[in-house]
Amino acid sequence: MTATATLDVEGVVKTFGGVTAVDGVTLSTAGSDITALIGPNGAGKTTLFNLVTGFDRPDSGTVSFNGRRLSNVPAWKAARLGLGRTFQTPVGFPSLCVWDNLMVAAAQPASETILGAVMGRTRWGRDLEACAQRAEEVLDQLGLSDLRDTHVADLSAGDAKLLEFARQLMRRPRMLLLDEPASGVDPSRLPQLAALIRSLVAQDIAILLIDHNLSFVLDIADHIYVMARGRVISEGTPDVVSNDPQVMEVYMGKAA
Amino acid sequence: MTGVILFFAGTLTLAGVYAALAQILNLSAGWGGLWDLGMAGTVGIAAYVYTVATVSPSEFPNLDVALGLPIPVGIALSAVVTGLVALLIGIPSLRLRGEYFLITTFAFAEVVRQLMINQSSLTGGTVGLNRLDRPFEDAVTGGNYRYVLLAITFAVVVALYFFMRRLGRSPFGALLRSQRDNEPLAKALGKDVVRYRVLTFALAGVLVGLVAPLYVWYLKRVVPDLFAADLTFTVWTALVIGGIGSFRGPAIGAVFLICLTEALQFLQVDAEHAVLLATMRPLLLGLVLILVLRLRPEGLFTERRAFQRRTSPRTAPLAPQRAALASSPAAMETSEGSGS
Repeated sequence: MTATATLDVEGVVKTFGGVTAVDGVTLSTAGSDITALIGPNGAGKTTLFNLVTGFDRPDSGTVSFNGRRLSNVPAWKAARLGLGRTFQTPVGFPSLCVWDNLMVAAAQPASETILGAVMGRTRWGRDLEACAQRAEEVLDQLGLSDLRDTHVADLSAGDAKLLEFARQLMRRPRMLLLDEPASGVDPSRLPQLAALIRSLVAQDIAILLIDHNLSFVLDIADHIYVMARGRVISEGTPDVVSNDPQVMEVYMGKAA
Repeated sequence: MTGVILFFAGTLTLAGVYAALAQILNLSAGWGGLWDLGMAGTVGIAAYVYTVATVSPSEFPNLDVALGLPIPVGIALSAVVTGLVALLIGIPSLRLRGEYFLITTFAFAEVVRQLMINQSSLTGGTVGLNRLDRPFEDAVTGGNYRYVLLAITFAVVVALYFFMRRLGRSPFGALLRSQRDNEPLAKALGKDVVRYRVLTFALAGVLVGLVAPLYVWYLKRVVPDLFAADLTFTVWTALVIGGIGSFRGPAIGAVFLICLTEALQFLQVDAEHAVLLATMRPLLLGLVLILVLRLRPEGLFTERRAFQRRTSPRTAPLAPQRAALASSPAAMETSEGSGS
């Protein structure tokens, strides 16, 4: 166990019209570096991500991050508390180059003021220098240095995915929620992706991820929650989950 | 010949006013993504606040409010009031989705115009306020004032250009463009998007407040009909032609557009066709807009070129992660995931 941040979800419910997308989900990442959330389409995984990160509000139930209640905390505030997330489609900021994408991600609110823009290099300059230094480190770490001036709209799908990680690394989150990180990556390259995610854990970043690629999830996760029809139907270590008849039924349509 | 030069000086001054307004619209709509269709309303408020603040009660005895303040104080008051109005409009409407903001601002401009017409004790009603004083007017004789006004307008446009360059390339500018590109991602990176949008809209209001007196000086009067929707659409057309999001585009688009439409005045027609010629202006605007959108959809200048980084790419060896994940075309789409 390396990562120290924990997320606790208790009895969270979310309905859209007559459809209950998340139905009393309870889960915790305590004691786990990499927690995975799996389930078929429509299980409520991304909705749960949205509820945890403040993009949506639960009808009932509580979400706590490092012991702090996140009820009614908007998305931008949750991010400032150290809860980072990526999105299924890594669109990024298409009109900005890679370097500016990273600088925007890291800039502190004190630097992003109209007065700061007008005054130029004053005390805000130090923050920007620190951001630039961090951006150099992250670009080097992910091997994106030669693309620093490339617009995001011109990146390949793989580079855009890496930039998704890079932006979050700039903020040094305590926990990172990855929405389908393996989607769009060639299966032969998945071990490298797993290595990248494990390297984040080594930097004290706890991971909660959603993915449809079961072998990838079983390989990387310490603890897995399985969702179906808005509920958690199984949880445990990869061994436990992969042998659970309920999970087999959800994925294969019948018990093994 | 002098008459032609004076005509050009006047045309360039009007173009300068639109160039300034287009640069301001570029800040809010181009970089901020705030599709403001109420610019005529904010320009109208600024123009009337400046006028009411600077005219003397003896010249306009019918007005309830005529403060007779010095011109610089009038400009400052115009900036503060217009900024506050923009803030009040922005706080509720910028929480809504883009199209609601668009409708709100459009309706706001029309409400403002109706108020200008109905509150005649404050605004002079449909007749408006005429023969207004202008700065340095006593120092120059006759038509030469047009050159003074052209110089002032040119200075304002240039100052605004450099201000916008600085703002656009600052962290604030980058944040504006990023939240316009991808609002959920900006929020996921800890950016209080609504706050920055409201601030941007208020800043645009302040800048309109500073620029609107130029329009008053150019026309020497304020009349409600000057602040109808066609002012907003002309500024928008200039911005689209010049290039939304670019630095030079808004100003050059405005100069091009205004010079083109004003040139219609050179056409000599008989009285029978004068009405037809008057309808040519919006027709010409539309035609130019269609041509630009067809041939150069991003406008004469592009945002991408404006923000192109000039540093040469550093050539670093590919790190193992990227070499593995991204460099090969084979590393592309295989397992398409979908939402849950």
